[in-house]
Amino acid sequence: MERKKASAVDYLLLLPGIGFIVIFIGSSIYITVAQSFGLLSITGKSQFTFRFWEEVFHDKESLDSILFSLKIGLLSSVATLLCAFPMALFLRKSGPGKGLLSTIIKIPQFIPALVAAFLIINLISYHGIVNEVLMALHIIDKPLRMLNDKFGWGVVLIQVWKNIPFVLLILQGSLASIRDDTVDAAKNLGAGAFSILMRIYIPLAMPGILISMILMFIKAFGDFSITSVAGPAYPPSIALRMRNTATLFQEWDKAAVLGVVIIVITLLITWLYSRLADFVTGDEK
Amino acid sequence: MNKNRRVLNRILTIFFIVVQIVWVGLPILMAVLWSLVDPDHPWSFPNVFPEYLSWAQWKYVFNYTNILRALKTSYLLAPCAVLLSLLLSLPTAYVLGRKNVKGKKFFQTLVLLPIIMPGMVVALFLSRVFAAFHLTQSFFGLVLAHTLMGIPYMIRVLTASFEAIPQDIIDAAENLGANTWIKIKDILLPMVRPGLLSGIVFVFTASIEEFNLTFIIGTPTFETIPTILYSFLGYNFIRTNASVVALIMMIPNIIMLFVVERLLKSDYLSASLGKL
Repeated sequence: MERKKASAVDYLLLLPGIGFIVIFIGSSIYITVAQSFGLLSITGKSQFTFRFWEEVFHDKESLDSILFSLKIGLLSSVATLLCAFPMALFLRKSGPGKGLLSTIIKIPQFIPALVAAFLIINLISYHGIVNEVLMALHIIDKPLRMLNDKFGWGVVLIQVWKNIPFVLLILQGSLASIRDDTVDAAKNLGAGAFSILMRIYIPLAMPGILISMILMFIKAFGDFSITSVAGPAYPPSIALRMRNTATLFQEWDKAAVLGVVIIVITLLITWLYSRLADFVTGDEK
Repeated sequence: MNKNRRVLNRILTIFFIVVQIVWVGLPILMAVLWSLVDPDHPWSFPNVFPEYLSWAQWKYVFNYTNILRALKTSYLLAPCAVLLSLLLSLPTAYVLGRKNVKGKKFFQTLVLLPIIMPGMVVALFLSRVFAAFHLTQSFFGLVLAHTLMGIPYMIRVLTASFEAIPQDIIDAAENLGANTWIKIKDILLPMVRPGLLSGIVFVFTASIEEFNLTFIIGTPTFETIPTILYSFLGYNFIRTNASVVALIMMIPNIIMLFVVERLLKSDYLSASLGKL
């Protein structure tokens, strides 16, 4: 399609949206980075130093938090994908009842994260219905500790419950772009259901799979509120530790170091994604 | 063979619907029950259902907590954020969708920064910027913050909608002598309306849910529904109060889900977020 060449006015028209984002996100990144090196300090004298970086990286507790958040991010994104992908495949072809099904599935998308956390907390608490049912069926003798558990399964479960619709929507979009001809051709050539899945659906939906996993990972990795209500007592998630370091202990410089760590990991993963996406779609230049 | 497949498909559909009703419905049902527990007859082990139901918890929450004020703040903030993000997004999305801008891909990625950037980091250090301009603890500051979190969806969805308008239609209108105003009013805006509406829904729900920035920038002067729920889930965990607040926070969203179901086609979300 013919697109008009952009004029100077057009670049000006970009400003309201782009400028707004750049000013606010840019300034917050700038302050985070500057404070992590001891500049723009609000508590003491401003001076360029690596001291805070050394302190954070010699601190076992900080490292525990980083590892914990990485683990939660990875587990949540993989688990959500595993739940959502079969659903997306099933909903690819329309049929009776599927409209209702996809409406019910989408409900958690509209439930705010904190509410979702609370709803699941109710179920998995010590005398919650899940434990009661499992005990009534004599599968377990005494209630399982699923809430605030050491590993963080409770957090993962909440992330999965809340984010299945989000991932499903993205996957449905990329599955919809696969043409039926391709699938039919494979069937005619004798491909079974499994090889159609492995050689057609998964590879062709790969961009959608990657983007949904990345967005999921970023959400779960940088999460503050869900971990703070359903996560273990120790370690706190990295965002939770950062916020406590800043507002409870007033060590803004150390909090800034943690902030930079979160940003760098997030951007690194996003960059990795875009390389992977280029690779699978053959956009490699 | 074909008939068997259809039957299998039916059975699978029913099976998935049942699974989903339990998976989504049970947590909601439990919250409803908890919110209706009578304070004089506590619901405890081993009762599967509460013995007495009453509205007492609802009355308590409305009479003795800040919920009404939080509701007002939340539902005042969201339309403001929608309006501001709409005004800021329209020109930007128009250019991104219809013109050959240099570095278009770069701008498209840049737009997603507010949702890619970890919320708590942005909240914490943006609050330093806001403090410098006396925007913390102010309503206008919260509007700016909520706009920031919603604007990526708006720009992305609108860009995709502008892109989808066939150039022929615009050319035809130009040939027939349409001026810029007519083109905007009679062609561009009507054709992007579905995208516009789903953008509005996204920004509205994003604003109602926004927690990190509101928590850091707005509390204690301004409480929204999420921050009030957080306070009930925190150190003094009061399940019954939290149930009421959780339900209040959910009801409008679920109504909206059914109203906009038509609009929330998967292609909008994947068009807006499908590629970085």
